[in-house]
Amino acid sequence: MQADASVKQAPKQSFKDRFFGRKTMNKVWFFLFLIPVMVPYLLMVIIPFVLGAYYSFTDWRGGIGDTNWIGLANYRDLLSNYRFIYSFIRTGIYAFFNVVVINFVAFSLALLVTRKLKLTNIYRAGFFMPNLIGGLIIGFLWRYIFNYVLGTVGFGIFSASPLDNNLAMMSLVIVVTWQYAGYIMMIYVAALQNIPEDLVEASQIDGANALQRLRNIVLPLVAPAFTVSMFLTLVTAFKQFDTVFSLTSAGPVVILPDYLRDFLNVEASLPRVRLTGLLAYNIYDVGFTNRNFAFAQAQAVTFFVLLAVLSLGQVYFNKKREVEM
Amino acid sequence: MKKFLLLFVSLMLAFTVAACNGTDDPDDGDLGDVERLVIYQNKVEIDAELSAYAEAWGNANNVIVEVRTCGGDACAYADNLQTEFLRAREPDIFVIEGLGQYLDFAEKIYDMTGADWIDDTDVPLVAPNGEIVGFPVNFEGWGMAFNRDILDEAGIDPDTLTSREGYAAAFATLEDMKDELGLDTVVSFTTQADMTWVTGLHNFNGYLSSGLDYNDDSVITDLLAGVAHRDRLEALADWVELLNMYTEESLLISGTYEEQVNSFKTGRAAFVHQGNWIDPQLIEDGGIDFEVGYAPHASGLGEVDSIFVAPPSYYVVNVDSTPERRDLAVQFLNDMALTEAGHKYMVEDANYVPAFNSVELLPTSPLSAEVTRWAQDGNIYAWWQNDMPTGFGMGEIGPIYSLFANGTIDKEQFIDALEEEIETLAD
Repeated sequence: MQADASVKQAPKQSFKDRFFGRKTMNKVWFFLFLIPVMVPYLLMVIIPFVLGAYYSFTDWRGGIGDTNWIGLANYRDLLSNYRFIYSFIRTGIYAFFNVVVINFVAFSLALLVTRKLKLTNIYRAGFFMPNLIGGLIIGFLWRYIFNYVLGTVGFGIFSASPLDNNLAMMSLVIVVTWQYAGYIMMIYVAALQNIPEDLVEASQIDGANALQRLRNIVLPLVAPAFTVSMFLTLVTAFKQFDTVFSLTSAGPVVILPDYLRDFLNVEASLPRVRLTGLLAYNIYDVGFTNRNFAFAQAQAVTFFVLLAVLSLGQVYFNKKREVEM
Repeated sequence: MKKFLLLFVSLMLAFTVAACNGTDDPDDGDLGDVERLVIYQNKVEIDAELSAYAEAWGNANNVIVEVRTCGGDACAYADNLQTEFLRAREPDIFVIEGLGQYLDFAEKIYDMTGADWIDDTDVPLVAPNGEIVGFPVNFEGWGMAFNRDILDEAGIDPDTLTSREGYAAAFATLEDMKDELGLDTVVSFTTQADMTWVTGLHNFNGYLSSGLDYNDDSVITDLLAGVAHRDRLEALADWVELLNMYTEESLLISGTYEEQVNSFKTGRAAFVHQGNWIDPQLIEDGGIDFEVGYAPHASGLGEVDSIFVAPPSYYVVNVDSTPERRDLAVQFLNDMALTEAGHKYMVEDANYVPAFNSVELLPTSPLSAEVTRWAQDGNIYAWWQNDMPTGFGMGEIGPIYSLFANGTIDKEQFIDALEEEIETLAD
């Protein structure tokens, strides 16, 4: 018994020292703790992503029938697909307006609610509230407002619902701004509150007026918030789907503009495109309405690459404007 | 402490893996000798009725029948059907809408040739290779549904509605009497972006079948080969022009399904371009206090005498189910078509217009009763719209209607665009 015990004791010490030094153990623990998040991440993000990219090089039909490798055929088709290109252009236009309008509105609101007003918290909560409603619901709500309320209340400027003509894109921007500006406002509020009082006071003593203060003190100091907000708005604008789906159903249908028709050499006499058919919606449409899954995958992969390049580039340039305190 | 952490981490890992392991298949462990049948269907409105019927049938046959439903605005059936096949337990019976969709799922569909129910129906779904694959769920039909009271008041005889001239005269009379009759619009029709299932499929079916024998598939066959019939397209365009002209503009361009049906239900429209599936809306909330009827779509060449009636969807059996389950599934369908309990379910519970000859019960809801009447008189044109390739009607044809309705293109361009679109199908 005694011999046994001593045998047990001795190797335990040396075993641990030899194979599991403190540093190694730390590493082991580090990876063990990572596993619970890494496994789902691998299963739900990495593997589907790789599979999706793989399918874009095949004629995959959503798990039915055989799948054959067809190389770059899907990507070649993309270059001549005027609907994809048009939807890409419309998404660019939408993203531009979306980023500008949301950030402008959100920053203005943030300036407003960081002033010493009564009921500031209520305003903040109020502006933030639409963000708590789902995008689908918001789309249906506003569809009702645009289609019925505006007509009934008698704003004579709308002879037809703005969702059915060239105003559709602007309507979408308005609705998404209404939804998202409150959220972005919170980011700006946090940044504005972090501006040291003494800097502001010093500038006041030096005789800077409100505009100069905004330009020279406030804006440089909230630049990191601009980076984050513009990144967020840009990415969400590109990925916009739910509100498009419920508000405009990607309509109205229009004829491809002549300049694009000439540029792309479209042969069809009446090429039809959707005015608010943004990329994410277009991918859904190609995949699920036309059941062209592999082609939709190719669009999605292209979409991913472009969005990654765009958003990283945007962050890079915004970062340059930030100042260190 | 470290041991506890290790235990905790391994537990977390085990949970994660277990959660990803797809244990949504409790039936593979045997419940005695009870077999389980899964039906995946697309009608929310009959979910309860079908489940009740299936349960009763299951009790009688010692089978557990599970009805999974996905449909309506909230659940896109075809999209989700795709994912049902990626589940551990695929459905044994599922629904497809016609040959177009058959081609999407052909590898999953079992050949039911020889099943007993086939002798009792004229309209099974027959695959291009001659296999009998689809059990007709019911009959549905559409024409121009009209409000008989309004037509009577305006002195219009529905029997004159057999040509575009007849319709033009009736529409003009109603247009003049709009205020008198309390109408917002003569026709309730919409070309809004969501409604291409009405324009690109239902209305366009006039081009494919109006004026033709029920089994005459010449126009759809030509369409699939990329050949357009210009004369039929011109007739269709005249008809669409008429509908556009007598539909109030905002309804025509931006009206939703609810708005379209409601304007008819509340007597603010004399005609509605919809099928008997709007019956539930017509019945609910006190129902309607006027008589309804159907008149043919004047979209063919010359006179027309029939409305479009056919099975909108078919039950098919999953070829990858076990042989026992496939047999059970066919048995389930046989019993639905051939037993009294099945007839009672189809007509009284589900309110279907049955597609089987041995059924003697008659549906009672207003438009379904009308469809039954037209079908019994043999005055029916076929549905070929579901034989078009997936996405063609709703994605390509429907938007052309929208452009015509909002004035972007004129009638000539409308015809050209349809012709050109059909020609793209030539491969």
